[in-house]
Amino acid sequence: MTKKEATFDKDLVRELAALLEETGLTEIEIEHEGKRVRVARGVNLTTTLTTDGGQSEARETAARPATEARPPQPRPDIVIHPGTVTSPMVGTAYRSPEPGAPPFVEVGTRVAAGQTLLIIEAMKTMNQIPSPRAGTVIAILVEDGQPVEYGEPLAVIEQR
Amino acid sequence: MFDKILIANRGEIALRVERACKELGVATVAVHSTADADAMHVRLADESVCIGAPPAKDSYLNIPAIVAACEITGADAVHPGYGFLAENARFAEILEEHDITFIGPSAEHVRLMGDKIQAKVAARVLGIPVVPGSGPVNSLDEARSFAREIGYPVLVKAAAGGGGRGMKLALEESQLEPALAAARNEARAAFGDPTVYLEKYLVHPRHIEVQVLADGQGNAIHLGERDCSLQRRHQKLWEEAPSPALNNSERARIGEIVANAMHELNYRGVGTVEFLYEGGEFYFIEMNTRLQVEHTITEMITGLDLVIEQIRIAAGAPLSLRQEDMRFDGHAIECRINAENPHTFRPSPGTITHFHPPGGLGVRVDSGAYAGYTIPPYYDSLIGKLIVHARTRNECLMRLKRALGEFVVDGIETTIPLFNALIAEPDIVDGNYDIHWLETYLSRLGNR
Repeated sequence: MTKKEATFDKDLVRELAALLEETGLTEIEIEHEGKRVRVARGVNLTTTLTTDGGQSEARETAARPATEARPPQPRPDIVIHPGTVTSPMVGTAYRSPEPGAPPFVEVGTRVAAGQTLLIIEAMKTMNQIPSPRAGTVIAILVEDGQPVEYGEPLAVIEQR
Repeated sequence: MFDKILIANRGEIALRVERACKELGVATVAVHSTADADAMHVRLADESVCIGAPPAKDSYLNIPAIVAACEITGADAVHPGYGFLAENARFAEILEEHDITFIGPSAEHVRLMGDKIQAKVAARVLGIPVVPGSGPVNSLDEARSFAREIGYPVLVKAAAGGGGRGMKLALEESQLEPALAAARNEARAAFGDPTVYLEKYLVHPRHIEVQVLADGQGNAIHLGERDCSLQRRHQKLWEEAPSPALNNSERARIGEIVANAMHELNYRGVGTVEFLYEGGEFYFIEMNTRLQVEHTITEMITGLDLVIEQIRIAAGAPLSLRQEDMRFDGHAIECRINAENPHTFRPSPGTITHFHPPGGLGVRVDSGAYAGYTIPPYYDSLIGKLIVHARTRNECLMRLKRALGEFVVDGIETTIPLFNALIAEPDIVDGNYDIHWLETYLSRLGNR
């Protein structure tokens, strides 16, 4: 669901990601109206989005003291990962087959193609969302019981 | 009253409904396809939900997605606008099964009027005048006596027919015999059934429709008529209220017939009964069980907000007005601003580089367009409606001319130049046009 405060430009990130592919670069950073978007690729999910106007040094530089911890980064950036599974429908996402049961998958779970990642309830119907590929779950982007829109990123499966 | 209304539509009508909700203090949910993420109806709603891919069947016609969007946002009612799911009885039923109110008539009435043959039968039963037609005619004598009764010209039509096949016109009695024979032969060849019947043929009809408002609790009123004769390929381009062709007693007569019929039907919500009008008589075409694009001109002359009335009725309130409270004040004209070439009517999707809507007294623009907006190629070409209101038809025409002159839409082609040309035509100024006028005018332009 999009509330009015959300001003994240997914299309921009998609566009930058496409540019990244096209040019063979590993990193692109742009700044516009106080927002800075950096799209990078590598082994880790290194894409960052900040709205703090200028103090966004590369996060991977290991020397950052723990006390400087910043608020959690918004997650829609992961949409550019080729292993992102997006929601095929509007509904409510559930991570386990029934309340109290263990989740279908956790971060780190190895999954086979077709294995259920989560379910989305729409119109009282439970729809299983299968993994499109074999691999490892490297991110789960929805909470249990969270409403999701069409096209919203649900999880990331990295091929191994 | 509802807490939150989901608007299952897009473009100017979604925005129109949002405005009514806001004035009622009801929260709004916009739904949109991925192609409409930047649309004005999405920007101005309190919440929005992306419900699918650009093709309408995957988003705006996707019933499960819309119901799921109600569930995740907690919307307790759905306004369908016009088009898309507005006349889908199954949608109304599914919403009801999920305890969500469909802002519109009962599914039963939507279904009845959606079946054009049943609708005509129902109209006749409800006392609404329909085009006179015979039962099957078996002999020339039978055909002759019926044709004399209803008057020439008459159309001989195949009972099993459709698509114009097995249909022959007889302008006068001498043409009836050959028409009958030809229609029978064609009907036998095309449908394997030579049965034919006669129907009165209207040569120069106008399209006049009556707006109704009813609460399903025994109250039904009419809000006067709209004249929508200026059409191209059955697409209305210019509508006005009241019709230049009707006088007050004709207006009161047809209005009363329609209001009584809606009362008898126990209809609920807004609706429009469409007629062909010729020689002082009305002939039922169909009934639309929804808000119409051109509802705005009725609003201008009555001062009523039809969407607010529609929502109130859906929430269970009785009509707040009686027929004798209705006043028709002045004259209103609506021009449909489409993203189309004004000569060929070829759609012109693209990015609007500059947008300046006209203003001033009596001028209303209902539009979701803005500078920088890109019109997606997936949906209809209507980008806005220019509505003008004045005390008299003459003042209204002058105001329309003035407003058209102020309207700037750059970057795409629009129908604005067509309206600039129409307003200089003596027939338009005189209100002297029928449903064929615009096509005749356009073909004359094309031949020049």
